[in-house]
Amino acid sequence: MAASTSVVPVPVTAAAVPVLSTNGDFSDLREIKKQLLLIAGLTRERGLLHSSKWSAELAFSLPALHLAELQPPPPITEEDAQDMDAYTLAKAYFDVKEYDRAAHFLHGCNSKKAYFLYMYSRYLSGEKKKDDETVDSLGPLEKGQVKNEALRELRVELSKKHQARELDGFGLYLYGVVLRKLDLVKEAIDVFVEATHVLPLHWGAWLELCNLITDKEMLKFLSLPDTWMKEFFLAHIYTELQLIEEALQKYQNLIDVGFSKSSYIVSQIAVAYHNIRDIDKALSIFNELRKQDPYRIENMDTFSNLLYVRSMKSELSYLAHNLCEIDKYRVETCCVIGNYYSLRSQHEKAALYFQRALKLNPRYLGAWTLMGHEYMEMKNTSAAIQAYRHAIEVNKRDYRAWYGLGQTYEILKMPFYCLYYYRRAHQLRPNDSRMLVALGECYEKLNQLVEAKKCYWRAYAVGDVEKMALVKLAKLHEQLTESEQAAQCYIKYIQDIYSCGEIVEHLEESTAFRYLAQYYFKCKLWDEASTCAQKCCAFNDTREEGKALLRQILQLRNQGETPTTEIPAPFFLPASLSANNTPTRRVSPLNLSSVTP
Amino acid sequence: MKRGLFLRHMILAYSKLSFSQVFKLYTALQQYFQSGEKKAVEDADMELTSREEGERKMEKEELDVSVREEEVSCSGPLSQKQAEFFLSQQASLLKNDETKALTPASLQKELNNLLKFNPDFAEAHYLSYLNNLRVQDVFSSTHSLLHYFDRLILTGAESKSNGEEGYGRSLRYAALNLAALHCRFGHYQQAELALQEAIRIAQESNDHVCLQHCLSWLYVLGQKRSDSYVLLEHSVKKAVHFGLPYLASLGIQSLVQQRAFAGKTANKLMDALKDSDLLHWKHSLSELIDISIAQKTAIWRLYGRSTMALQQAQMLLSMNSLESVNGGVQQNNTESFAVALCHLAELHAEQGCFAAASEVLKHLKERFPPNSQHAQLWMLCDQKIQFDRAMNDGKFHLADSLVTGITALNSMEGVYRKAVVLQAQNQMTEAHKLLQKLLTHCQKMKNTEMVISVLLSVAELYWRSSSPTIALPVLLQALALSKEYRLQYLASETVLNLAFAQLILGIPEQALSLLHMAIEPVLADGAILDKGRAMFLVAKCQVASAASYEPPKKAEALEAAIENLNEAKNYFAKVDCKERIRDVVYFQARLYHTLGKTQERNRCAMLFRQLHQELPSHGVPLINHL
Repeated sequence: MAASTSVVPVPVTAAAVPVLSTNGDFSDLREIKKQLLLIAGLTRERGLLHSSKWSAELAFSLPALHLAELQPPPPITEEDAQDMDAYTLAKAYFDVKEYDRAAHFLHGCNSKKAYFLYMYSRYLSGEKKKDDETVDSLGPLEKGQVKNEALRELRVELSKKHQARELDGFGLYLYGVVLRKLDLVKEAIDVFVEATHVLPLHWGAWLELCNLITDKEMLKFLSLPDTWMKEFFLAHIYTELQLIEEALQKYQNLIDVGFSKSSYIVSQIAVAYHNIRDIDKALSIFNELRKQDPYRIENMDTFSNLLYVRSMKSELSYLAHNLCEIDKYRVETCCVIGNYYSLRSQHEKAALYFQRALKLNPRYLGAWTLMGHEYMEMKNTSAAIQAYRHAIEVNKRDYRAWYGLGQTYEILKMPFYCLYYYRRAHQLRPNDSRMLVALGECYEKLNQLVEAKKCYWRAYAVGDVEKMALVKLAKLHEQLTESEQAAQCYIKYIQDIYSCGEIVEHLEESTAFRYLAQYYFKCKLWDEASTCAQKCCAFNDTREEGKALLRQILQLRNQGETPTTEIPAPFFLPASLSANNTPTRRVSPLNLSSVTP
Repeated sequence: MKRGLFLRHMILAYSKLSFSQVFKLYTALQQYFQSGEKKAVEDADMELTSREEGERKMEKEELDVSVREEEVSCSGPLSQKQAEFFLSQQASLLKNDETKALTPASLQKELNNLLKFNPDFAEAHYLSYLNNLRVQDVFSSTHSLLHYFDRLILTGAESKSNGEEGYGRSLRYAALNLAALHCRFGHYQQAELALQEAIRIAQESNDHVCLQHCLSWLYVLGQKRSDSYVLLEHSVKKAVHFGLPYLASLGIQSLVQQRAFAGKTANKLMDALKDSDLLHWKHSLSELIDISIAQKTAIWRLYGRSTMALQQAQMLLSMNSLESVNGGVQQNNTESFAVALCHLAELHAEQGCFAAASEVLKHLKERFPPNSQHAQLWMLCDQKIQFDRAMNDGKFHLADSLVTGITALNSMEGVYRKAVVLQAQNQMTEAHKLLQKLLTHCQKMKNTEMVISVLLSVAELYWRSSSPTIALPVLLQALALSKEYRLQYLASETVLNLAFAQLILGIPEQALSLLHMAIEPVLADGAILDKGRAMFLVAKCQVASAASYEPPKKAEALEAAIENLNEAKNYFAKVDCKERIRDVVYFQARLYHTLGKTQERNRCAMLFRQLHQELPSHGVPLINHL
């Protein structure tokens, strides 16, 4: 990637902001800290609160500077001085959300800062009006018609300035946001890239870029500035694109460099672990994070998902109480409470809280999916379908919604119909065994056993979470009277379970041992057969069969049949098999013969 | 009266608005007036326009919309009524006259725009599905179809009156539609799975109507199976019982088609069609009437009655023009039309009216653009006609190049034509191999028409390799088959071949009497080429049988033969079959020579020499050529 050569000529902004040239390595943490503090101030002055927060958080994680090292505030230019009064007044109005008023007083200001605030107030005013309009629209016809009226004008003005190269980094950022809101994605990406070149320290521009990039290929063709901010960006986008391995690697590097105290990085790592379903690790990191930063609300919805999966009721309840105390009108809080109710099987209440979350932020897609799950629990399939569809509308790449739709149709006993949805989910998460197992089950129901076998095998190969794929595969082989393969699968299954060392109750263990015992018995491998039969006796449902088989073996042995010991039974193979059972194992692409998309 | 009601609606709606809504309405009105100053605007508010008054204006909007696609996003959203009108108009255009509908790309743009403003507008997804079918896009069409049903399910559940019933209903039809989609794209296995699902759900909820639809589709999928007619009979009975005239007569039509291939007598088939026609007229199912007529055309063609076929085809075409005068729904691009027009083109080509045939094809090309659903029909027809012309002209390389195109559209036909070309190029072994393979395949597929054609080709192969005795049983088999299935055209063709075989075997009297039997249908309904061949053969037989006659009688017979040859020559001339004309002229010259008419002989000989220099010789002796 030719990162150092920028595609766009960089306008001279250094005069106004002296220390914003950044370099690509982390050798000078003090310098980085200085830069972070500076940008936090600059963004705050312009009302870009989230970026300011991010920079400040990151700066806080680095060691404090001495008095001598502290950066003096950037010098005030002539233009700034001229607009000082207007700016001060407008900023005050801006802070109390009187955007139109702020814009009115900033009209005609020349300094970059005042101009940005002017445009930004107009943009925010449009957004605010749009949100208000949705409440009292003239009727259902207008649903989705409300739009930010200011966007067009803003675009025209900003593009003029852009062509004249009069925009600084913040101006470019705002231009990009306007373009994105107008669904001009390609142009928006170009402008954001330009913004990162001009002002690499502004996290908001990077974040917007994250939302616009949909796959790895797109990422490859971007020419990004060579700065340390890029590392944060890459780590973030890898997490978004589900490239978890790479993301974790990046975050580890950042921690090693010295950002170990940053709550942002810690939380991102936790989210990454959540995405690859490494629940224990994610849980411990989240617990750590809560100790560090007890009043943090961001990402707590992910934490609650984890607690939900592990059904840790008391912890979830504690979290819900705590968050409710901090701020009950946050999307995350509603989500946590929804999860809590869901875990207590009070699905109506849970759905209510997810709805509340959506009222607070209609673009919060997790809530749509979760609401779909709740409706499913309530057996209200049509509402569930609606919720999932909404989720997909917000984000087409939400595999959980696709999976949920598939499940809904599966419950409606339409296995063929749901194949499409599972396939979509599988496309989005090619290495997630749950979709593969679901696909396999559907194919099994449709009696397409070859396809089903492929799916189960693949599910095992990519690292089966629920450990069910092998048993299902074995049963399929059993059905097809491919006893050899069936036995192999059962053996692998048992190895898997034992190598995991979990004491989780596996219902199918007895089935596996029973089949193996009978298989060895048929092959006349008496030793192995009796071992398996003995194992069978340990389970309630197979005890009698195991005993009977043992008796038979004994009988046959006593009759003088020479046990064939030459064939070494592949029973408990060395534990090395478990070593290559990691989820990252490369497997050939799944080649399902069906032509349908 | 109506206006009063409308005003009342307006006032009620207005008084319900809150202040901010009134403000919004005011600004919207202001904008509307400003933007619409060019047009004479009489009724103001877009969304409250009454249906009657709005419609005319909406049409205008529609026209405008299609012109300025780019501006549509700023022209603002359509109202519910406008959107519904737009959808239904486009959908009916897609069904009836695709060329008049918006182009796929611009229609999709409109739909996307519509969905952006109102994502819950499920019908738009369905139209998008239809639109995607037009461009044969499996992925998008599946996506749109499923999206439509996902949305439909939610609206079905919302309306209390339908309740659980409406919701389950859409599920069944969702699966059924998916089956139809897969069937359309030729994914028969997938279609069957989807259909099974639809059937199961319909059975669980006792929805007989849906089950009927499933049954019809089941027949469509299982057409290849021999027992499928049982299914169909059952389906027809049930459909009548549940009062589904459309399905019932569609079933009857399929049944007729099936029976026609199975060799049932024409009167029974026509009776059945007449009965279903009664049903159509009663329920005014104009689409099915068209199909019925097209089917009659095809059946007459199958039985080799070209005049009747011609008449039926013409009837369909003129009936449609009547309907358009009456202002009814004009159905312009249905399959039945394509079928009738293709038959028309082929019939004209058979009679040597190539200009007329190409005119018909040109019309077909306009009406069914190459990427539309039924375009394959005329493509195949076009190639077949070209192939026949090339073969008549003796341009085998040209015919050979057409074979690939035919194979792409219909593999069986393609293989047959390939064999014919090989045979004409004297590559007997390859031709024989191909024909044998094709024969077994056709017998498996129960395509009797093709079986007979292949048998005839095989027989020709035998006598061309000088073993006419082996050809006889093959020909008898073909004759038996064509008699059994009442394929008159093929039967007389077979008789011609038989007579020819007898001529080679040296029993011209027998051949002559056989020919007398077959000549009538050939001259009545046969293609021009066949007429010529028949007359040529008659002349040959006459000459051969005259060998044993007394001189005066012999001269008379030869004169008669010359007359027949003249007729044959005329026929061949009509279809540009120079090679055959050359043969005829040669033969005539010989006859004139025997009769001692030197002048005529010389004229014929000169003609022969001219033609012989023009055409390459293929080394097939004249006698071994029917």
